[in-house]
Amino acid sequence: MAEVRAIDRPKSKWRKETLSEIDYKATYGKYRIRGCASPRQFPHFDDLMIMPSQLTRMPIDTYREDCETRTVLGGRFATKPLVLETPIMIAGMSYGALSKEAKIALAKATSMVGAVISNGEGGILPEELANSYRQSIQMLPSRMGFTKRSLEVADMIEVLYGIGAKPGLSGHLMGAKITADIAAMRQIPIGIDLHSHPRTGDAFGADDMVVKMQQLREITNWETPIFCKIAAGRVRDDVKIAIKIGFDGIILDGCQGGTGAAPVMASDHLGIPTMPALVQAVRTMEEMGVKDEMSLIISGGISDGSELAKALAIGADAVAIGTSAMVAMGCRVCMDCQAGKCAFGIGTQDPELRARLDIDKAAERVANYIKGMTAEAILLAKAAGKTKLKNLEREDLRALTLEACAMTGIPLVGSDFVIGEGFGFTASNKI
Amino acid sequence: MGYIDVSKLGDANLNSAIREKLAEAPVVTLTKVNAMHNVCAGLSGDGEVIIDDSTGLYTGSFLEGLTVRVKGSVGWYAGDDMMSGELIVEKNTGCNVGSYICGGNIVIYGNTGSRVGYGMKGGNIIVCGDAGRWGGIMAMGGNLIVLGKIGEATGESMYLGKIFTRDPEAESKMGGNVFLDAIEADEVDALTELFEQYGIDADAKAFKVIRPMKTGRHAYQLFKPQLEPEKAKKYQVKG
Ligand SMILES: Cc1cc2nc3c(=O)[nH]c(=O)nc-3n(C[C@H](O)[C@H](O)[C@H](O)COP(=O)(O)O)c2cc1C
Repeated sequence: MAEVRAIDRPKSKWRKETLSEIDYKATYGKYRIRGCASPRQFPHFDDLMIMPSQLTRMPIDTYREDCETRTVLGGRFATKPLVLETPIMIAGMSYGALSKEAKIALAKATSMVGAVISNGEGGILPEELANSYRQSIQMLPSRMGFTKRSLEVADMIEVLYGIGAKPGLSGHLMGAKITADIAAMRQIPIGIDLHSHPRTGDAFGADDMVVKMQQLREITNWETPIFCKIAAGRVRDDVKIAIKIGFDGIILDGCQGGTGAAPVMASDHLGIPTMPALVQAVRTMEEMGVKDEMSLIISGGISDGSELAKALAIGADAVAIGTSAMVAMGCRVCMDCQAGKCAFGIGTQDPELRARLDIDKAAERVANYIKGMTAEAILLAKAAGKTKLKNLEREDLRALTLEACAMTGIPLVGSDFVIGEGFGFTASNKI
Repeated sequence: MGYIDVSKLGDANLNSAIREKLAEAPVVTLTKVNAMHNVCAGLSGDGEVIIDDSTGLYTGSFLEGLTVRVKGSVGWYAGDDMMSGELIVEKNTGCNVGSYICGGNIVIYGNTGSRVGYGMKGGNIIVCGDAGRWGGIMAMGGNLIVLGKIGEATGESMYLGKIFTRDPEAESKMGGNVFLDAIEADEVDALTELFEQYGIDADAKAFKVIRPMKTGRHAYQLFKPQLEPEKAKKYQVKG
């Protein structure tokens, strides 16, 4: 009789990815650094649905009526808040991680759609500043390329505490990308693997930051909005402290946010996802009575108008996009940004590769993408009966899964039940 | 000479008041400052501010052009992000003085705390007394000159810049990714000039220089097992 061999279940824990990770460590004795966001599946806005208008409210005509998208950010204390035509920010991606061409293209795109761009680590590229509609300038713990002049040209200031892809860690820029130009701007040696300053040297802790805030307010004459950028972790506590420090707004980056280079461990295992982070931030700002005055920008894995609409409905004032803007320019998310060999001229400093990116074409594609994404959000808002994008509210949402329901406090589809911490809903549909 | 009695200022903003006085007189003296924070923060232009007292945090931060002379001591972060001009402290300072300075001179006649010149990018910081640990940590330019003792891990992971020391134990107190080197002739000249400018009695030739490694790579602490089984025995639970 022929031998019968039973086939084992496909390997679960010991997939080829796990084996390759072990092989990597066994060979090099260190951890791996990678670009882009974590490939893990995290809960996201897809787990929410938007409620259409039917008998309860009238729809707004998709093709003939207006839906306002103008957004004012950062007016809590600053006297010159940011006015945007669409609630979208191009997230801070450094000149260094990205090529000069990519930075200019992104800046140009903001001028075509009325959005804001953040410079990212390592100073402000003059060509970015010249081409951007509104310019946010980051004040990072490294302070590379930052001077008093940076504060003077900023339409918005971002005090950086962390990013979702590597919270608690500092900027990583591998030597392959530290060209003479970037080294000069950052004042570091050419070709060095850069792991920038992890903690800010001029405010050890929130109490000092309260004093520092006064300093920044005086220097900016109380005009420029001052935001902080934090990675989502202990959102409730961090947001409370940010409120106390006196920021005009918060940029909150969920753990599925992108990066130019981060240890795999950090992007896969640090922080919490964007959607629950946003809910927690909104809850905290409401509890503290500052939701109406303080702005909230959310980022981490935002790729289309539905996510924009849902983020606004939950309580964000705007979203920031990094990876998706790169994709609009041609990036295919190969996750190898750290190597600096980007075939599309985006995440590289190699002159030959950079020449492949047509700045004007890339700018137009990013602008188109932002227009399309805004139009998608408008479509959903109008169908939900809104004449303003910002009128989307949490009552317009329902959770598709028990998990999303528990995480957001938004009722489960087909029921009026809420599991977990409340978010303005009660279990018995007393909405 | 203009005077401001800070205790009588009420709700008025001190730095605005200084600006107004400086428009009238080249030298303004502040009294009864009572360790106030942000004194002279963000001021620019010409003139001199003399502070006849001690100050709190962020004294003279983002300073540009002016001379600020503090007769007492200053708190943490004095002179942070300074662009140019002078910040002169006659007594001691807290920690993190001169963080991120881009230019100008900070002169401390007393001692300073830890992390003086954190991430500094330009300018000169002269400490006549001792400095705490991590002086010049992750600096990206400028000169940190310490006449007294330096602390542990001085110069840790500097990218660019120089730390001048005449501490005989400097070699054993340096941080990672730096090396101790002889002072060069032009550096002796520059130091001598600075010492003369600020009436400091020191011989520039007696200094050595902590410089960043030029290997193009920093060595980091990831994990290094300490294989000392004999020493490790003390952690064994006694029976
Ligand atoms: C190539 C690249 C470079 C980045 N550089 C910075 C930076 O310098 N400073 C910063 O705060 N965030 C940086 N980030 C993070 C983004 O600002 C943003 O938080 C993130 O991309 C948002 O997630 P998303 O990519 O899913 O939109 C970078 C992201 C990418 C993809």
